[in-house]
Amino acid sequence: MPHSIFRRLVSLGSDGDGDANDANEVRTDGGTATATGEGTTRSDQSDRSLLDSEFVRSLPFWLPPALLMGLFVYGAIGWNAVISLTEWSGFGSPDYGDLDFSMYEQMLGDPTFVVAARNTVVLLVVFTVLSLAVGLLLAILVDRDIRYENTLRTIYLLPMSLSFVVTAIFWAWMYNPEIGLINVVLRGVGLDFLANDWISDPSTKLGAVIFALMWQFSGYCMVVYLAGLRAIPNDQFEAARIDGASTLRMYRRVIIPQLRASTMSAAVVLMVFALKAFDFLFVLFGDTPGPSTDILATMMFREAFSSSNWAYGAAIATVLFLLALVVIGPYLYVQYQRGDL
Amino acid sequence: MGDVTLEHVTKRYEDVTAVDDMNLAINDGEFICLVGPSGCGKSTTMEMIAGLTMPTEGEVFIGGREVTNLPPKDRGIAMVFQNIALFPHMDVYDNISFGLRLRKYDKEEIDRRVERASDIVQLEGMLDRMPDEMSGGQRQRVAIARAIVRNPEVFLMDEPLANLDAKLRVHMRTELQRLHKELDTTIIYVTHDQAEAMTMSDRIAVIDSGQLQQIDPPLVCYNEPANLFVAGFIGSPSMNFVDGEVTEAGFHGKNVEVDFDPADVGVSPGDDVTLGVRPEDVYTEDEQAGIAHPTKRIEATTDVLEPMGDEIFVYLLLSEDATTSMDDASEGMSDQLLMSVDPDSSITEDQDVSVVLDRAKLHLFDTETGEAIQHGIATTTTTSTDSSTPAESDD
Repeated sequence: MPHSIFRRLVSLGSDGDGDANDANEVRTDGGTATATGEGTTRSDQSDRSLLDSEFVRSLPFWLPPALLMGLFVYGAIGWNAVISLTEWSGFGSPDYGDLDFSMYEQMLGDPTFVVAARNTVVLLVVFTVLSLAVGLLLAILVDRDIRYENTLRTIYLLPMSLSFVVTAIFWAWMYNPEIGLINVVLRGVGLDFLANDWISDPSTKLGAVIFALMWQFSGYCMVVYLAGLRAIPNDQFEAARIDGASTLRMYRRVIIPQLRASTMSAAVVLMVFALKAFDFLFVLFGDTPGPSTDILATMMFREAFSSSNWAYGAAIATVLFLLALVVIGPYLYVQYQRGDL
Repeated sequence: MGDVTLEHVTKRYEDVTAVDDMNLAINDGEFICLVGPSGCGKSTTMEMIAGLTMPTEGEVFIGGREVTNLPPKDRGIAMVFQNIALFPHMDVYDNISFGLRLRKYDKEEIDRRVERASDIVQLEGMLDRMPDEMSGGQRQRVAIARAIVRNPEVFLMDEPLANLDAKLRVHMRTELQRLHKELDTTIIYVTHDQAEAMTMSDRIAVIDSGQLQQIDPPLVCYNEPANLFVAGFIGSPSMNFVDGEVTEAGFHGKNVEVDFDPADVGVSPGDDVTLGVRPEDVYTEDEQAGIAHPTKRIEATTDVLEPMGDEIFVYLLLSEDATTSMDDASEGMSDQLLMSVDPDSSITEDQDVSVVLDRAKLHLFDTETGEAIQHGIATTTTTSTDSSTPAESDD
């Protein structure tokens, strides 16, 4: 039995080869288009052709994952969108008979939502820009043939490998007003007036969160930039130096512009993460971070799972999803244009 | 003035000496090739002239000015790189004018210079293209134009043609020579390709293991190599070498004998010497009429033929037990001889032939030191009145 399976596999394989040869021969001998050639060789075997077609033979490879993804990812997104159009809240089931955009209207009039949306955008932009800048700086320093380069690279990247729950707790300790490292150090060097209750004071709360996230993600940016820098041939640096560029100018005018692809891909990862920075905030503050740090992700969780405003939570989720699309869209478009997709 | 002088320049890395006490004097307006195998220190030498690498010891002068510790931009040099090194995010105009813009030249001056440079390298109408829209040859022209606009005293070119395909390379060689004629600027050109060095340069500086082996016009390097290395490196295919010993009667190798009076060539019996002869100076018996002073006949069997169109290379096996294995190469190829014959020759494989060598084109090297002893060995009857000069006179 195994033997016969083996023979069928072999014949399948050689069949494929044969087709390719046939097609080539038809083209070279008669000058007929390949498709026609295949059609004629296949016409007497039409009963086999359906089973043998590339489409059918490729089914086992893409259909199961496509079904699973379709149901659990895109199906869930779709279902969520539908729920956001209902009035579902509290106990009971959603009423799909009455779909309208009332939840989205409610959103626009809700000051909590406006604040959360603003915080989300601030977090998104500031966190992304800072992480990229710090990552780039680290990458340039590490790239300058320094000693212990690999060790440093690992040290910088390590925070990235930690769970956000761990880093959140870690930074909660760091920011502790009494025994936290930051305030202890500030007092130690005589800067008492700078010591602050970082994660309680509404004016520094968001900043403290962004700083902690940056700490975790700049190592990732460094690795992405480092790969980009390594891809630039040494000649480029030397050519710029021969042309008389100072180190600063060389990086600004020659090297950094060539890191656009690195910037782009790192920025997309950072921005998408910023949109769903939920776990970090949830560990620090629970589901009510307060207006100065409330972002859409925490608000969504609060509305849905604490207040049982299911439809409202779903609407916020849809807005988040659309924001993510806005972030990824341009990236995908550029990739598509460059033929990478 | 674009004369370049290196005095006792040494570059040592942690455990390797890349360049070892290099002395080099390059005249203004000269096209000079630094040639040698990979890792011989030729690129390091050029980087030290460019200022991209600082010498451990020694001094570099450009135009009579000591520049050993000056940054590249203050040396009056421009460089063309092996990987062309155009900035991919700038168009041709921006690439060419980059150095000028950094120096804050005014717009008109930049335009004027870019136009002139792009005229010289024939890039008209391409100034707004991006590098990735251009062919390899065009990109190389942009790189050269980028060097030209700076009006340098010295052009440094680090294997600029190495990444081009063979046909384009030959074409660009001619272009570079034309450029040199037009600009009349010193060009220092690094290559590992001895054919490039032979065809383009006024003088060739042959470098091996960080040391200058010989600096001479191409034909002098070819006809009177200073040592075994130069003899083997310049010329393709390589020169034949036969190891042997000096006897009272002349040279005695395993299969080759040349009679001369040892006193005439400054050797004494018992010396270990290596005889060198280029493939084109080996003749079959039928062809030997063309040469004045043939050696004694050498019996051989033909092995493999390599027809090149304008000539045929014939691999000769000299002794019965000779093998074609490459192990022989390490023994001075005593059993093998490469011969170049006329393309219409009737020679075939596995044929017994007798060959002679042209005595006027023989080279004698000291096996131990590799130094050349004598170029051209006259017959014992004639006094050495031919043009042979000991290579030591080069120093």
